[in-house]
Amino acid sequence: MNKEINTSENNFEQCIKCTVCTVYCPVMAVNPDYPGPKQAGPDGERYRLKDPEFFDEALKYCMNCKRCEVACPSNVKIGDIIQKARLQYSSKKPGLREFALSNTDLMGTVATAFAPVVNGTLKLGAVKSVMDVMGIDKHRTFPSYSGEKFVTWFKKHAQASQQQYSRFVTYFHGCYANYNYPKLAKDFVKLLNALGYGVHLMDKEKCCGVALISNGFKKKAMKQAESNLSQIRGAVGAGEAVLATSSTCSFTIRDEYEHILGLDNSDVRDSVMLATRFIFKLIDSGQARLVFRSDFRKRIAYHTPCHMEKLGWSIYSVSLLKMIPGVEFFMLDSQCCGIAGTYGFKKENYPYSQKIGDSLFRQISALSPDVVATDCETCKWQIEMSTGFSVENPISILADALDVEETIKANK
Amino acid sequence: MKQDKGTHYDVIVIGGGITGAGTARDCSMRGLKTLLLERFDFTAGATGRNHGLLHSGARYAVTDQESATECIKENMILRKIASHCVEETDGLFITLPEDDLAFQSTFVASCQKAGIRADVIDPKEAILLEPSVNPDLIGAVRVPDGAVDPFRLTIANVVDARMHGADILTYHEVTNLIKDGDRVVGVELVNTNDGSRCQRYADLVINAGGIWGHKIAAMAGATVNMFPAKGALLIFGHRVNNIVINRCRKPADADILVPGDTISLIGTTSSRVPYDQIDDMKVTPQEVDLLLREGQKLAPSLATTRILRAYAGVRPLVAADNDPSGRSISRGIVCLDHETRDGIPGFITITGGKLMTYRLMAEWATDLACKKLGKNVPCTTAQTCLPGSGEEPKKKASGKTFGISGLGKRAARGRHGTLSSKIENSDKFNSSLVCECEEVSVGEVNYAIKELDTYNLINLRRRTRVGMGTCQGELCACRAAGLLAKASGCAVKAEEDLAKFMNERWKGMYPVAWGETLCEAQFTSWIYEGVCGLDAFHTGKTAK
Amino acid sequence: MKFDSIIIGGGLTGLVAGISLQSKGKKCLIVSAGQSALHFFSGSFELCSAPGDYEDALATLPSSHPYSRMGVARTLELASGVKDFFLSSSIKLSGEDKRNHFRITPMGVLKPAWLTLDGYASVPSDRKMPWKKVLVANVGGFLDFHSDFLMAGLEKEGVECIPYIINIPELDRLRTNPTEMRSTNIARALTGNVLCELASQLSKAGAGCDAILLPAVLGLNDPENANSLKARMDIPVEFVATLPPSVPGIRTQLMLKAHFQSLGGTFLMGDTVNEGVFEGNQLKGIKTVNHADMVFQADNFILATGSFFSRGIKASSTEVFESVFGLDVDYTEERPQWYSPDVFEKQPYMEFGVRTDDKFRVSRDGNVLSNVYAAGSVLSGFNGLKDGCGAGVSILTALDVADRIANGF
Repeated sequence: MNKEINTSENNFEQCIKCTVCTVYCPVMAVNPDYPGPKQAGPDGERYRLKDPEFFDEALKYCMNCKRCEVACPSNVKIGDIIQKARLQYSSKKPGLREFALSNTDLMGTVATAFAPVVNGTLKLGAVKSVMDVMGIDKHRTFPSYSGEKFVTWFKKHAQASQQQYSRFVTYFHGCYANYNYPKLAKDFVKLLNALGYGVHLMDKEKCCGVALISNGFKKKAMKQAESNLSQIRGAVGAGEAVLATSSTCSFTIRDEYEHILGLDNSDVRDSVMLATRFIFKLIDSGQARLVFRSDFRKRIAYHTPCHMEKLGWSIYSVSLLKMIPGVEFFMLDSQCCGIAGTYGFKKENYPYSQKIGDSLFRQISALSPDVVATDCETCKWQIEMSTGFSVENPISILADALDVEETIKANK
Repeated sequence: MKQDKGTHYDVIVIGGGITGAGTARDCSMRGLKTLLLERFDFTAGATGRNHGLLHSGARYAVTDQESATECIKENMILRKIASHCVEETDGLFITLPEDDLAFQSTFVASCQKAGIRADVIDPKEAILLEPSVNPDLIGAVRVPDGAVDPFRLTIANVVDARMHGADILTYHEVTNLIKDGDRVVGVELVNTNDGSRCQRYADLVINAGGIWGHKIAAMAGATVNMFPAKGALLIFGHRVNNIVINRCRKPADADILVPGDTISLIGTTSSRVPYDQIDDMKVTPQEVDLLLREGQKLAPSLATTRILRAYAGVRPLVAADNDPSGRSISRGIVCLDHETRDGIPGFITITGGKLMTYRLMAEWATDLACKKLGKNVPCTTAQTCLPGSGEEPKKKASGKTFGISGLGKRAARGRHGTLSSKIENSDKFNSSLVCECEEVSVGEVNYAIKELDTYNLINLRRRTRVGMGTCQGELCACRAAGLLAKASGCAVKAEEDLAKFMNERWKGMYPVAWGETLCEAQFTSWIYEGVCGLDAFHTGKTAK
Repeated sequence: MKFDSIIIGGGLTGLVAGISLQSKGKKCLIVSAGQSALHFFSGSFELCSAPGDYEDALATLPSSHPYSRMGVARTLELASGVKDFFLSSSIKLSGEDKRNHFRITPMGVLKPAWLTLDGYASVPSDRKMPWKKVLVANVGGFLDFHSDFLMAGLEKEGVECIPYIINIPELDRLRTNPTEMRSTNIARALTGNVLCELASQLSKAGAGCDAILLPAVLGLNDPENANSLKARMDIPVEFVATLPPSVPGIRTQLMLKAHFQSLGGTFLMGDTVNEGVFEGNQLKGIKTVNHADMVFQADNFILATGSFFSRGIKASSTEVFESVFGLDVDYTEERPQWYSPDVFEKQPYMEFGVRTDDKFRVSRDGNVLSNVYAAGSVLSGFNGLKDGCGAGVSILTALDVADRIANGF
């Protein structure tokens, strides 16, 4: 059912001006320089169609969190409208800062090679000043780079052993797990292997492009997206699900490729998903079982990243975490942490970024959990920097709590 | 308005449509002491109920050379004198597979004869120029059509008339003409708001009452046989097209799609209506269906575009006896000197014509008036810019000049041209938007109240577009009513006005109330009737 | 994924049903396609606007009305428990047992009300105004509330009104944004130290008044800020609704949702049910846009998707249809019959909704679905505006079907 009627390709017309989106916009709540989702989205779009001169550069304050879309009772793709308008109309060319922040692969490759130096210098006062000049906020701590990329490790230590499995998944590790935090990727391999699945990597995985999109590099984003889609098609064609451990990577490939970049991904969209959804479905349908260590004890608070809220998938990560017998679980209120990828790195956004996250940080501090669980790497940076509490991906927590031997046995 | 029997004018112009406003402007510019009368609000008749098409004349080129020639001349004049009311969009005349492509060459030849630029272009080029056009087209001709905002154009004429010393009375209906023997010497008036009565006298009364002019002429004892031809139109929620799209064939139903400000309009139908119905035009479901069906042939995306409202106007055509549809009647101007025609001195009727030729109509009527009054002053309306249309300030860089706090200023400049500098912006409360769909600020509303004869919400809508946007008044009407209450000092009157206004909005919505429009309507009712209890102020009336 | 009950729609109806079932030990899932009509809440729930005691008023309703179908006795029995029901979600409501009191609307009109949120301006059933003199305060530049309208109404009732414009410098920054001086954004600013300033301004301006009336711009997430303002003042402060968004409505929604979740309920926000898995005349499960092939299974389902505004039912130019499963709908086929030309007259379209049997079970192609119930605004046969019963139908039909499901009758 669900037939839509008299809604144009410009879905903004479904807006009936109810103002609900303005209530749930995290930016609007702290920064009056942002026109707000209603004005920036459906209202403004109508004027931009009349004359592109009506485009307002203040749309850059949109974090693309999509919370307006989640709240909208009329199914208006408010966030998409805003992001598309930025790519289409903005006359401001992205600068060096935007280049540095969005070209994650290039920066990651260079930085990994010089990890000890880079990690040291990123903390140095002088370097911080240069960052400041570039417009990157000096309060920000860049995530440190790992000395060995996950892909390098995988090829050396894990690839060969994957052949013993008869079922496979393809892992879209993303930039973060590759360059900054290979532990997460290794945990993923450990978990999937225990469940009886071998892990394949794509031959040439590119950054999903989320930062390119939000920083205005549409062409480059298209190129990377097309490359990723063709790789994903290969995997899906071989009957493998393509799993990610980052909610933003999953979301970008599934939704932004089509909605913002206009690429047809309908043939593979359903096969790209977050690892926790894949695992939950296996368990829910009785095809797999997880066995946990009896000595695992932790108080865990789960934070719902914005793109996870949009995907609607926190239910999977949360259900899995709740399966661990030794876990005392708390659900944090679903609200934006303020980082929004590269957004919070920009000097002009930093104070707002922290203000947006403030209520979340206070809730975490009040709960004082052993660990905060979340499916997004940039949320992890933001929460760790702002609260001092450690943050882990649910996959890492599951891997940590897992009784590997028993799980392997159970899934033989 | 105090009764003042002593006021005597050179000319009284009856009718606050574009013809009356234009005539009042011309008269006052030529030094005649002028009074302009309107029974409701400016543009309440056919002026506010048409396409807003800045005809190139191409539409009439094949059937009516005279009209076509007039159109293209006036078209070029309006671009100059009313630049803030005109959008130079150009127009396409497209041939669809079901049309006869042979008509195109007749069409082009006729255009050229009338002095209208008409370039045959490749259908593919037409699609590039106007992506919304039906991609099945087999022929396209580009002509200098455009869009003109009849509300702005009328107000600019009114403002200019007043600047030249004219008096203006809205909400004053002529109930009778005062005669001295056969000569018309004045008018009896009733205030349509409070029922009070008064008279005004003049050497000459000019009847510019459009379709209602028939009644005015009758008061003088003259017969002007008008042909009430109803035309229905639909307003779509946003700019579907940026170039006017016409069908390249003999004029028929629903064959013009005009982009106007934030919306697009499809029209019209044409049907004869009885005289007693001209004050209460309703758009029938059959007309809506026909407009949609035919409109989709011009731009297929209309099938999935939200329809904001439907409305109908009555063309003030002068009747011929042998044409049942009214289509083949000349849109030509009719200027009647009732002294020579009917032996009634002191009375002129200016009628026929169309929005496009209003200035020429005014010129003819004023020429005749001057002749009768013994004034020998040439017409300068074709050379003199209307207020608001002066030199544009330098175009600004995209998105920069206005920024977030300038929301509404840009839209206001579009609406008021250079006069937008009169909008008060200094106060910290003034930049807030009253109407978010059409970007109308508190400052602009207050400007309209102060300077543009705005006493109620419907006046305000016509001056500023408040309530004309997607939500049709759901948020803005109440906000604006609050400002009107402040200005008038009477909250209850403003609340009753709000109820009337919401009824007027509904009148245009219910013929197309399905999909989003019905959601919007239900939501609006919940807010106004449910949360606010506005039904308590319902007087059973609709705003005029 | 398996639940006892799945509720489609997370507004007032869905949440009441969810809380009711979850507190009876049933495992519930609520799927909500965006935020609900509670965001336009007036501050009062209405039961029936017909005059007289409820018992008599309800008896005047047509047989198609959900109350008539539940029976007046059953309706009133359910109604008697509603105050306590909301109190369990920490929402304090007040109202008279047998008849309507009156809410004061932002236009100064007295509207019949059943239960009014604690702290919202109302008048008892005898219409005797509780004050002789009030301060009517508004935030400078706030366009979604006009004191002039409220004052005109109160003065008509014989109340002397003193207007006052609140001047809070903290709002000046917000004011630089031309569209966002909205109730909710003001509510975010009126917190902490700003409340002290507000209290001192109001105390001074309201000296000698019996009450201070404020637009509902306080307490977005919880009643704390409103209470804290009141605690600082000697004169009673009461709130009056604003144009949307509704601060009390959002707070009510948040508190009901939080209570539902604290009882163990699962709430999916921003997701749309797009398919039902049927077996004969039973619904076995649903699929949603976000969860694609994941089937959410349950024994029973409640359709609480609302009316046109919430897209529970939709209209094309030729038909009215139920949007999730294509259920049978009660409506008039001829489009011109859907409307009355006067917007304030009874609009027939308002009564369109899904067809249900005597247990509020829906049907498809004439066949009753034995485990799918409908509740709230999606039901046909009533006009929430004209009968003044919108919230009452939502709450009471939700409680009714929840009771039927939990107790199997």
